[in-house]
Amino acid sequence: MLNEDDISKVKSEKDEWIKKAGCQQDAEIFHTTPSGIKIKNLYTPEDVSNLDYLKDLGFPGSYPYTRGVYPTMYRGRPWTIRMFSGFATPEETNERWKMLLNSGETGFSAAVDVLTFNGTDPDTPGVDADVEVGTSGVPLYSIKGVEALVKDLPIKDISVALVTEPMTAIGLTSMYFNVAKNKGVPLSQVAGTTQNDLGTMTIGYITYDSLKPDKLLKLACDMIEYCTAMKQAPKWNPINFTTYNYREGGINAVQEIAFGFTNAIDHIEELLRRGWKIDDFASRLAFHLSADRNFFEEIAKYRAARRIWAKILTEKYGAKDPRSIILKYHVQTAGSSLTANQPLINVARTAIQALEAVLGGCQSLHTNSYDEAICLPSEEAVKIAVKTQQVIMEETGVIDTIDPLAGSYYIEWLTSEIEKRILNYMQEIENQGGFVKSLNNGWLFNEMSKAFNERQKAIVEGKERVIGVNCHLDEEKERPIPFKTNPWAADIEKERLRKLRAERNNQKVATLLDQLRYDCAQNKNVMPTVMELTAERATLGEITRVYREIWGIWELPIAI
Amino acid sequence: MLFKERGVLNKVEKKIRVLTVKVGLDGHWRGVTTVSLILKNAGMEVIFGGFQTIENAVNVAIQEDVDVIGLSIHSGAHITWIKKFVEELKKRGLEKEFVLVVGGAIPEHDFAMLKQIGAHDVFGPGTLPDKIIQSIQEKVEKRELESKSV
Repeated sequence: MLNEDDISKVKSEKDEWIKKAGCQQDAEIFHTTPSGIKIKNLYTPEDVSNLDYLKDLGFPGSYPYTRGVYPTMYRGRPWTIRMFSGFATPEETNERWKMLLNSGETGFSAAVDVLTFNGTDPDTPGVDADVEVGTSGVPLYSIKGVEALVKDLPIKDISVALVTEPMTAIGLTSMYFNVAKNKGVPLSQVAGTTQNDLGTMTIGYITYDSLKPDKLLKLACDMIEYCTAMKQAPKWNPINFTTYNYREGGINAVQEIAFGFTNAIDHIEELLRRGWKIDDFASRLAFHLSADRNFFEEIAKYRAARRIWAKILTEKYGAKDPRSIILKYHVQTAGSSLTANQPLINVARTAIQALEAVLGGCQSLHTNSYDEAICLPSEEAVKIAVKTQQVIMEETGVIDTIDPLAGSYYIEWLTSEIEKRILNYMQEIENQGGFVKSLNNGWLFNEMSKAFNERQKAIVEGKERVIGVNCHLDEEKERPIPFKTNPWAADIEKERLRKLRAERNNQKVATLLDQLRYDCAQNKNVMPTVMELTAERATLGEITRVYREIWGIWELPIAI
Repeated sequence: MLFKERGVLNKVEKKIRVLTVKVGLDGHWRGVTTVSLILKNAGMEVIFGGFQTIENAVNVAIQEDVDVIGLSIHSGAHITWIKKFVEELKKRGLEKEFVLVVGGAIPEHDFAMLKQIGAHDVFGPGTLPDKIIQSIQEKVEKRELESKSV
C-alpha cells in the first residue's frame, strides 16, 4: 500500500505520538480477543505493509475471494433471511412458516425435534420416545409429516434447509425430494440444503445411540455423491458444515473454522477415494458459520475463511470451476451469547451480531429471538428477529458498497492474523490424523471441553463480561411467560404413523428395508434405496434402525 | 447405610455422591458435562451417567449409593420428565432416598411446578456454579438431618 520509506516514517511518527500523547506502549495495554489474539491500541499502514492488494484481497467474485464470493454481492441481491423454525406438529410449524413468509422471510429452515434428529419413531418401545415429540422442533417422521409441513408453501421458488444429521439426513431429504416431485418440482430443480454434518452430531450435540464417525462420514458422502456428483439434485446443497454448532460448544473463532475445514477435507478425501474429481462435487459444499461476540474478529474470520478455502481448493485439490472454490455460507447469531436474565437485551446482542454477518458477506442469515435462552421463540420474538435483519438491509446503508471494511489497517491485519492461526490449528488437527480420527480418539472432545471450561471460568470470574449476568445487573422484572408447544403433539404424531402403517404396502416396505440392509452390508450408496423407501412411506425410525442394526452403535470417548 | 447412622454430615469425612444423567433422546450434553466437572472440582464424587432411561438411572443411583441425582433436560419436556422420574421413585418407595435436582434450558416460570412435583432445586440458564454447589450441599445436609430425626 505504502512504500518502505513511508512506512518507516509512519513508524517513527507513531513512536513520537505515543511519547507525546503519553499513551502506554502497546505491550502494556494489549487487549485480547476470544481467540487469544493480542490487540494493539492503534493500527497503522505499518501493520499491513506486507499486504498485496491483488494477491491477498482481489475483487469480489475473484480469487482469493477475500472481499466476497460474488461480483455484485448485496448490490445484486441481498442475503436470504432464513429463520430456523419448527415445533409441535408439521401443521403448526406450517402456520409459523406462513407467518414468517408474510413478515419478509426469504428462505425456510426446518428445526426438527429430537426424535427426527435421532431417527427414532414416537412409538418405539423402551425409551419413552413420545415425551419429546415436537418439544424442541417439528416432528418429521415420515413423508406425511413433510407433506403437511410444506402444504401451500411456494417451495418451487423458496429454498428449504433441512437441519438434521448424517444418520437421518438421507431419510429426511429423500422424503422432501419425494414431496417436491409430487408437488411438480422435479429433482433437477429442487433447491435447498441439508445440514448433514457429522461434526454437529458429535462435538456440539451428541446424538443418542449415534453411529460411529466413519459410518456417519459414509452416509454424508453418499448424499453428496447422489445429489451433486451423480447430478440427481444439482441445485441442492447436500451438506452444510455447521461450524456454528461447534462454536456454541465454547471454542473460539480460529478453532471454529479449523474444525469446519478439516471436517470438509475428510469428506473431500472420501469422495476422491470413490473416484470422483474435485469439480464433480465441490461446488455444493456449503457452510454454516457463527456470528459471536467479538465484532471485528468475527468479520475478519469470514474474510480469512474465504481466502483459506479458495487456496485449499485450488492449491491442494486443483479445483478449476470457480463454483468449487468459493466459500458459501449461512450465518447464525450466537445462541450462547443470549441470557435468560433481562432477555430484551438479547435484541441488541443479536442485532450487532447480525451486522457482523452482513459486513462479513454472508449468503443467508438467521437472527435469534430474544427469548431463546429459555424456550422456543414466541411469535412476537421471532418477528422482531426478522425485522432486525430488515433494519440492517433497508435502513442502515451498510449494503450500499461491497466489503466496506476492506482496507482498514485493523481489519486487514486481523484477517491475516486469523488466517495464520487457522492454518496452524488445522495442522494440529491433521497431526491427529484429521477431523474424523481426532473425533474418534477423543482429542476433539478434549479441545472442546477445555475451551468451554475456560470460558465458563472467565464468566464466573468476571473476566468475560456478560451484561445482566456478571455486570450491570438490574433488578429483575417478571420474566415473559415462556412459549409452550402443543401438549397433544405426541398423540397426533403417533396417530399419523398408525394410519400410515395401516395404509401403505407393508410387504413392499419390508422388501426395501432388506435391500437397505444389503446396501449397508455391501457398502453401497444407500440413497437410491432410501428414496424408494420414503416414497413407499417407510418411517425415519425404520430406516435408521437398519443402520444401527448393521453397523452398531458408537461408544463415545468421553470422560468427566 | 453406615454414613447415615453416623448422623450429621461431615463434609470432610464423607464426600457427597452425585449421579448426573441425560434423560430422553435430546443430545445437548455441554451443560451436564460442565456441571459434572464443577461438582467434581468442588470435592464431590460424580458418577456421570450419560444417556439413561429413567429406570436405569434409578438402578445406577441405588447401586452407586448416591446422595444426589442430577437430571439435565434441554428439550423443553422437563415437566413430563420430572413427573415420570418422581413416579418411578415412588413406585419403588425411594422418593425420600435422593436429593433430586434438575438443570437445563428451563424457564423460571416452570420452577415452582417442578418443585411441587418433587424436584428439590432447579438450575436454569445462567446459574452460577457456586449456587449449584451450595444448593446441593444444603439439600444433602437437610436430608441427613431429617433422616436422623426420623
